[in-house]
Amino acid sequence: MALTQFKRLLIRSVRQLCERKAYLFCMIVVPVGMAFFFLSLLGEGLPLDVPTAVVDLDNSTLSRNITRNLSTVETIDISMKLSSFDEAMQKVRGGEIFGFFYIPADLQKDALAGNTPTISYYSNMTYFVPGTLAYKGFKTMAVTASGAIVQGKLVDAGIGQSTADVLLQPVVIDINGIGNPWMNYSYYLTPSFVSGVLELMIFLVTIFSICMEMKSGTSPEWLRMSNGSIVGAVMGKLLPQTIVFWIVGLFLNVLLFKFYHFPMNGSWLWMSVAMIIYVMACQGFALLVVSVVPNMRLALSICSLTGILAFSVAAFSYPVQSMYGAVGIFSYILPVRYYFLIYIDQALNGLDVYYSRYYFVALLVFVALPFVALRNLRRHALNPVYIP
Amino acid sequence: MNSLTRNIGNWFSYAAKVWRREFYLVTHDAGALIFFVLLPLFYPVVYTVIYNPEVVRDLPVAVVDNSRTAESRELVRMLDATPAIKLGGYAADMEEARTRMAEKDVFGVVEIPEDYARKIGRGEQVVVNFYSDMSLLLRYRSFVSALTDVQLATGAQIRQELMNQTGLSLAASSGSPINNEAYFLGDTEQGFASFIIPGIVVLILQQSMLLGITLLGGTASERRRKNRGVDPMAIPGAPASATVIGKAMCYTVIYLPLAIYILHFIPEWFNLPHEGSAVDYLLFIFPMLLASSFLGLTLCRFVKEREMAFLLIVFTSVLLLFLSGLTWPRYAMSDLWHWVGDCIPVVWGVEGFIRINSNGASLAENATAFYWLWGLSAVYFVLAWIYFRSLKRKARGVGNLNQ
Repeated sequence: MALTQFKRLLIRSVRQLCERKAYLFCMIVVPVGMAFFFLSLLGEGLPLDVPTAVVDLDNSTLSRNITRNLSTVETIDISMKLSSFDEAMQKVRGGEIFGFFYIPADLQKDALAGNTPTISYYSNMTYFVPGTLAYKGFKTMAVTASGAIVQGKLVDAGIGQSTADVLLQPVVIDINGIGNPWMNYSYYLTPSFVSGVLELMIFLVTIFSICMEMKSGTSPEWLRMSNGSIVGAVMGKLLPQTIVFWIVGLFLNVLLFKFYHFPMNGSWLWMSVAMIIYVMACQGFALLVVSVVPNMRLALSICSLTGILAFSVAAFSYPVQSMYGAVGIFSYILPVRYYFLIYIDQALNGLDVYYSRYYFVALLVFVALPFVALRNLRRHALNPVYIP
Repeated sequence: MNSLTRNIGNWFSYAAKVWRREFYLVTHDAGALIFFVLLPLFYPVVYTVIYNPEVVRDLPVAVVDNSRTAESRELVRMLDATPAIKLGGYAADMEEARTRMAEKDVFGVVEIPEDYARKIGRGEQVVVNFYSDMSLLLRYRSFVSALTDVQLATGAQIRQELMNQTGLSLAASSGSPINNEAYFLGDTEQGFASFIIPGIVVLILQQSMLLGITLLGGTASERRRKNRGVDPMAIPGAPASATVIGKAMCYTVIYLPLAIYILHFIPEWFNLPHEGSAVDYLLFIFPMLLASSFLGLTLCRFVKEREMAFLLIVFTSVLLLFLSGLTWPRYAMSDLWHWVGDCIPVVWGVEGFIRINSNGASLAENATAFYWLWGLSAVYFVLAWIYFRSLKRKARGVGNLNQ
């Protein structure tokens, strides 16, 4: 195929891209728009100040002290003081609060008399993040409250203040989160979901643009323009899209790491290389699907299914190691999984690229894979049949 | 008076005809059937299977034991005994441990200081460092709760020993003067599936419906283009309002059995939280299905081609997953996103269903969401009606030209 021919093919596909506003929407507006959506929604990093309540049936110095201390806990916001357990449960069911701290009557009296009363706290776990945050806030408070009493007793028994402090907590396990000591939720969700959306849109656009040739019956002409070479035809079709997605992908990297200061402990170079291969890997995956199943509806269905499942299966929030074996394997057939692992290794943990070598290889395999099945696509392109 | 009753009768007969025709179109379109039937049947099962192991356990952790004493081995033994942590072998130094972490052999490292046993013996506070891999927050969370338990347990044990040594016997020394108990509401096992599936299934209801409706809408749009603005499969003469209502009834009725399957049987089969009464959540879900139908018909305006449904609808599932507050609570959203979420049926649907299903709330306790859903039904009905009226006008325009 001569260069001029390839140029004509390119011009043809650029014209097709410009003819439909849907392409512009899917290739640029959706990936960039969704990135801004995540950045704006998750901007805080952690949804602190969980609405919670306290039920204080004791009303003693001790219980008022606990209540006061509760309101200083960072993760929760005591937005209500309620007078009974039932009332609190009702507020939970109505969704006004995500948990409450329950102080029984006679707490102070029993505690000082050595009757070990029980304070309890209720967290609504139907919403995972606020439920967990409420639980953590309550637990800290409950432990501190009883600790304060123990300490007081120890000092009263004649042990020095500093020894009493140690006795309260002889062993401290200091937990250091590597790469993300702030436990910022957005550092996981934003990059993984943004790249997941990018993958999904690349899948759909790739398949849609190729199958439209067959739907509108122009695929024989398309092949004729590349002298019957399906590789040339596909390249002419996809290269303009590749370039647009590259620009979008690299822009997203700059947006996250430069403007929004996401952790970038590794090299820009490798993250950019990863993005460039990732875009082609996604196209390769879609091309493989459409070559094996050259039916627009089926191919789009398969890619929507996998593209959406990727958000769960590729394990951004739930580890593959904990899934059933068969399901876990499924997560390895999606490009986004490898891109996510590269992000963790390179950007978050700043490891040497050596440790991510297999992920890069995996992405390259996706790029190469469709070539085994392109012949099938050629056969269907020569005799286009559209199945609605 | 007579003509009024006749008009009303006509209107109903048109709506019924549209309903029947739409049902025919749905059942004779493989694509629509996949969205309307297959997707709601299989997707919930797929999701439940993914998350069903529920909790994260036995995470391998490397130990750098600089103390090498009976005390430090005791600490390691206690860590290993927690459900979350599994001993992944010893490492000679932090360097080696870090390499093993980079190789993904282990997800955490415990570094026990050289003076661990000595400090405990002297009654000084000792700090043990734990380094957690942060590639997944869920893993980190499991570590934190396991380590907190171990810290409290070793603390109590050491305190007891020191007390005995010093000959002090205090009533309060053995335990704490106040007990505390944590209760988990809704998702009592704190499992991941139990938390996420009840929300996801409602999302599947709306999204599969929108996909199906816009697919049919795109197909109708292609038919109109081929026939100069007239859809040969439409009921001629049907008023726009009867068309919208007839179609919406068709979709809603198809979805009622699916809703029972998704909202009742899925939680039952997979042992997910399932507290609420069936009457409450089915009554609750009806306006959501209705509002989703009207929303779908409104969206048909943007779908000019059958397969465009995929391009325009699929990605919104991700958007709606977040707007629904499932992963990021709604109270923490800015006014803008809160407001956008308010306008989408499934956001209220997820919220209400989770409360009824998992927390055992009643329909009355979810009155706000229920009224919003009816309100959204009304709004989207009007928007869909405006669109279908404009289609009808265009078709009439073409008809006039032909004469």
